[in-house]
Amino acid sequence: MSTEYLSTIVLMTLVTYGSRVLPFLLFKGKNVQGFARDFIELVPIALLAALVIPELVTPGGTIILIHNPFLWTGALMFVFSRFVPNLFLGIVFGMAVFWGLDKLLI
Amino acid sequence: MINENDLIQHDKMGFIYGLRQSLTIVIGYAPVAITFGILATQFGLTFWEAGLMSFFVYAGASQFIGIEMIHQGATPLMIGLTTLIINIRHLLMSLSIVPFFPERTLPWSLGLAQGLTDETFVLNTKVLKEVVGEENRQRVMLGINLGAFSSWVTFTILGGLIGNWLPVEFSGFQFALLALFIILTTSSLSKKNYGTYLMAAIFSVVLKLLIPGKLYLILSVALAAGIGAWWRRRRLPI
Repeated sequence: MSTEYLSTIVLMTLVTYGSRVLPFLLFKGKNVQGFARDFIELVPIALLAALVIPELVTPGGTIILIHNPFLWTGALMFVFSRFVPNLFLGIVFGMAVFWGLDKLLI
Repeated sequence: MINENDLIQHDKMGFIYGLRQSLTIVIGYAPVAITFGILATQFGLTFWEAGLMSFFVYAGASQFIGIEMIHQGATPLMIGLTTLIINIRHLLMSLSIVPFFPERTLPWSLGLAQGLTDETFVLNTKVLKEVVGEENRQRVMLGINLGAFSSWVTFTILGGLIGNWLPVEFSGFQFALLALFIILTTSSLSKKNYGTYLMAAIFSVVLKLLIPGKLYLILSVALAAGIGAWWRRRRLPI
């Protein structure tokens, strides 16, 4: 195992465990309020958009619309998961549709 | 008045009860962890390196992004920073769980915090409300956390072994992570946050086209969540 991989794991562990354990060590039951609370609450949904949408619209670094299996699978995936909120079925559906469209759209 | 049967029932709520409750999470974790293990080996990691990440980091989304960034040649610091951005939400979850344990000791604090994920947070919040006594609550949460954690690590290693021994040529794996994120999106989107989602979507596409590397992730998230939070405050009656 490379030092680079090891330091990646150490850093990832530090920041993840840190954000889990700090309130256990520092707080006696208080909750964050105001802007900070809203900000932390909105981070996950903003992150989901930032992780998904650019990958669907610009998979190769430029905007591609027609010959883009990511975009069309993504659109179908949104519809599917809206009606079938099941993690396992959703992932299987996404992978299968992408595999099919990847073959079709090239 | 407290019924005697209720008291007996509460006495039974301990570690094993928590472990049994964790089964619902295990069912959800298994396919995702197996996919992570397979992807990790496809990106050049060994099964035990993948298992090591699941054991120490234990945070689904950031692990997928982590291996993707390793694959793209990102530095550990950049990956660490992205992980921080992704996992900072644990602060909020941890803050909401802490009031269940006002008398907690240091070992319990260190141990219970380790197993806090999106899924265990939701389940613990639901289950702990029904458990009487802080000691019982600690044992129940430990059971839930350990059940979920051990399944995540075990199924990662299993996925890694599958990926190592059966070289799977299946382009669908490229979409596994995106599928997971889209499912999480549809279950998290609401009237209260869709504006932030749209802003982050636009910012991230524009910034990705303008700035090289993965910096667009951090910038667009901070901008959209910042504007979203400011907007919420602004609309509140004084």
